[in-house]
Amino acid sequence: MSLVVASPVTGTVVGLEGVSDPVFSTAMVGPGTAVDPARTPGHVCAPVSGTLRKLRPHAFIVVTDDGHGVLVHLGIDTIQLDGSGFDLLAAVGDHVEAGTPIVAWDPAAIAARGLSPICPVIALDANDDLLANRSAHGFVAVGDPLFSWN
Amino acid sequence: MDPDSGTSGATSAAKALAIIEGLGGAGNILEIEPCITRLRTEVRDGTLVNEAALKSAGAHGVSRRGTIVQVIVGPEADVLAQDIEDQLE
Repeated sequence: MSLVVASPVTGTVVGLEGVSDPVFSTAMVGPGTAVDPARTPGHVCAPVSGTLRKLRPHAFIVVTDDGHGVLVHLGIDTIQLDGSGFDLLAAVGDHVEAGTPIVAWDPAAIAARGLSPICPVIALDANDDLLANRSAHGFVAVGDPLFSWN
Repeated sequence: MDPDSGTSGATSAAKALAIIEGLGGAGNILEIEPCITRLRTEVRDGTLVNEAALKSAGAHGVSRRGTIVQVIVGPEADVLAQDIEDQLE
């Protein structure tokens, strides 16, 4: 059965080609897509159900019970912010459901500091041909499917 | 060896050594910090960094800007960074 990976934020699907960081745009850590979030304060939510395996203010990884790891990165080069502007709402080791809020932030504040708030959503270590049903570029609401991982 | 499974003690330590070599050796590394999927490092001399060696050590890719070198290693970055710091001590 394929895993449906949901959008962690409401915004606009732009694809990895819309990301300025080559680590994501050339799929070095895996294929996926990216969502440019709406510029309103909100939550970044788990894209799948599973265990919160890694959590940094600017990125997190949820691993499903069958071992699929999905990375959500909150903006590009946002490690520079040293956690400022990100409120963690969960902890490493938590079991989370798809849609569980993980981090609260304000994408407009990130953009105001000169950084891109675009959120890559990556199927870690997957082969590109395992992803299907990719969402078209355009509006997406939090929880809407971005792609399925076979 | 499957490069994606290198998180066990021995293979991770070997990988750490190979990455130190690829970065131009312990003396060339000023700082190393794990991000979620990458090692962010600052080196003394960027010309000593060997991308091919880093890739054969298991890196998915290397991105550099002068003396700032990012080695993309996947989610085990924090384990590797710890192993590298242990080796550098």
